Amino acid sequence: MTLDTQMTTRSLWRERVSSHTRRIKDFWTIYKGSRIGTVGVSLVLAFIIIALVAPWLAPYHPRALVGTPFLPPTEEHPLGTDQVGRDIYSELLWGTRVSLMVGLLASAFAVAIGTTIGLLSGYYRGPLDSILMRITDLFITLPVLPFMLILAALLGRNIWNIILVIAITGWTGTARMVRSQTLSIKERPYVEAARSIGARDSQIMIRHILPNVFPLVFANAIIGIVDSILAESGLSFLGLGDPTQPSWGMILHYANEAGALATGRWWFIIPPGICIMLVTIGFAFSSYSLDQILNPRLRRRRW
Amino acid sequence: MGFKEYVGKRVLQGIVTVMLAITLNFILFRIMPGDPTQAMVGDPRMDPETRIALIAKFGLDKPLLEQFVLYIYNLFSGELGVSFVEIGRPVVEIILGRKLVNTVILMGSSMFLAFALGIIVGVIAAWKHGTKVDVSSIVFSLVTYSMPVFWFGMLLLLVFSYYISVFPIAGTVTPGLAYANFLEYASDYLHHLIAPMITLAVSFFGGYFLFMRDTILDVFTEDYMLTARAKGLSDRKILFKHAMRNALLPMVSLMGVHLTFLLSGATMTETVFSWDGLGRLIYDSVRDADYPVLQGIFLMMAILVVTASLCADITCAYLDPRIKEAAE
Repeated sequence: MTLDTQMTTRSLWRERVSSHTRRIKDFWTIYKGSRIGTVGVSLVLAFIIIALVAPWLAPYHPRALVGTPFLPPTEEHPLGTDQVGRDIYSELLWGTRVSLMVGLLASAFAVAIGTTIGLLSGYYRGPLDSILMRITDLFITLPVLPFMLILAALLGRNIWNIILVIAITGWTGTARMVRSQTLSIKERPYVEAARSIGARDSQIMIRHILPNVFPLVFANAIIGIVDSILAESGLSFLGLGDPTQPSWGMILHYANEAGALATGRWWFIIPPGICIMLVTIGFAFSSYSLDQILNPRLRRRRW
Repeated sequence: MGFKEYVGKRVLQGIVTVMLAITLNFILFRIMPGDPTQAMVGDPRMDPETRIALIAKFGLDKPLLEQFVLYIYNLFSGELGVSFVEIGRPVVEIILGRKLVNTVILMGSSMFLAFALGIIVGVIAAWKHGTKVDVSSIVFSLVTYSMPVFWFGMLLLLVFSYYISVFPIAGTVTPGLAYANFLEYASDYLHHLIAPMITLAVSFFGGYFLFMRDTILDVFTEDYMLTARAKGLSDRKILFKHAMRNALLPMVSLMGVHLTFLLSGATMTETVFSWDGLGRLIYDSVRDADYPVLQGIFLMMAILVVTASLCADITCAYLDPRIKEAAE
């Protein structure tokens, strides 16, 4: 490589980086202006920090039997103990990890499946498109929760199975959206140009179409996190959670089974629900304001 | 494409989806680890005679393909096997009965409530776009969307059953109560229905509201809205006669798609409130590994959802000719 081409490559690269940072800066300026968005991002960050420092924050190990069962809140146990004498406060802190992990991974898997199917379907059309879209239709109409319950019951109670089950049922929206975007992007002149200089199909899909659908995919992924966290808590509540991983849904499952409602043990019921709600609100608010930014049509309208 | 052809095409699509769901159901319960006959007869609670009869009927000792043919044949003659738990009771009898009615009543009433509230509040928020009313209803709906359904149900029970006894804690009717007439029965039933209905309705309000608001905002940009203004129509007339009517169509098609989520919500709600319906039955069957019942419910719910979305689509196509053209 001569010095000259090296220079060009470098300046091109610099240009690209600066255009990226400019875009991120613009984005951030708009984002900061939205109060819903700021609240959402702060909540999400707070829970990420809690998840990271849970081992130092929690006074006890989440699965250690540290007191008599059903203790009300005391100084030693700020939120009391559960039906076998574990510290609920410690379980809550550790539960943040499970919720975030399931939410992020399941949503990422679901979006990956959806994007792949959408791209292939929209790009190749023809019989492949028909088959993939029929499968998508099937998954859209399947009753989600019964399907999840059956899968989880058949596969076994394990956190990876739960992630898998949520991903399998959560990709359809992304697939449809990516497909319709691909259909329109594929007709644009620059894709035609790429094809005429001999770019392979995979190259066109990954380098030219994917970057254009990415913002929408990203917004979809965030709302997918909300759905995944809620799905995990629901599955755990119905008794299909991983027994080795303390999660918020599972605390509520035990509370329900142990009759915490009929005995008025609010400290067993209210805190886990509030945690689930705050995390999901964080992601839902972030997603909502992201949507406002990505759909400028909504931003400008004043009627 | 005419209306009839469109309906024909959609019905065909629906049938294909149901067939795929049946196939999936068949495969799911046969890829289970262990004995492949597990799903129909693999339970120690079952008596040997029934077991032998079922093995013959479903060809459980034959190759998979043959089993599949027999499965379809039995399905169409209304035979889905017998329950593991309620020993010897046919699955069809358990599913198609009181439990189905209870679930339909709970889902129907809460869906209606959520739908009506979503439309009304959605229209108001869109009209007051950008004001405090708008923003606070968005925040409220995002909060209800983010709340786990079952937890909201538990909260209602804690407050209204434990602290102030307004609602009964569980069940569809008061156990052991003798009723003088139907009216007494109905009022007892309604008393039990209120809390789960509110729970389910609140959890679905958010989705309907946000969708309605966005659709109305979209309708506002249409040319005929400008025409209506130019004609000098009053705000209220524009809002309710022009905007709302046009926004209702997408809402109807949303309702069809939404049914699967409603079923999920109903399962959780019924579990919390011990509502004697299909959702509660799923929970019990998963817990007790009652596979025949589980297969039956799953199939029934798939058929229910496909039929509902079919009806919603056909209604929409009938009301709005543009949809048929878009389908071409």
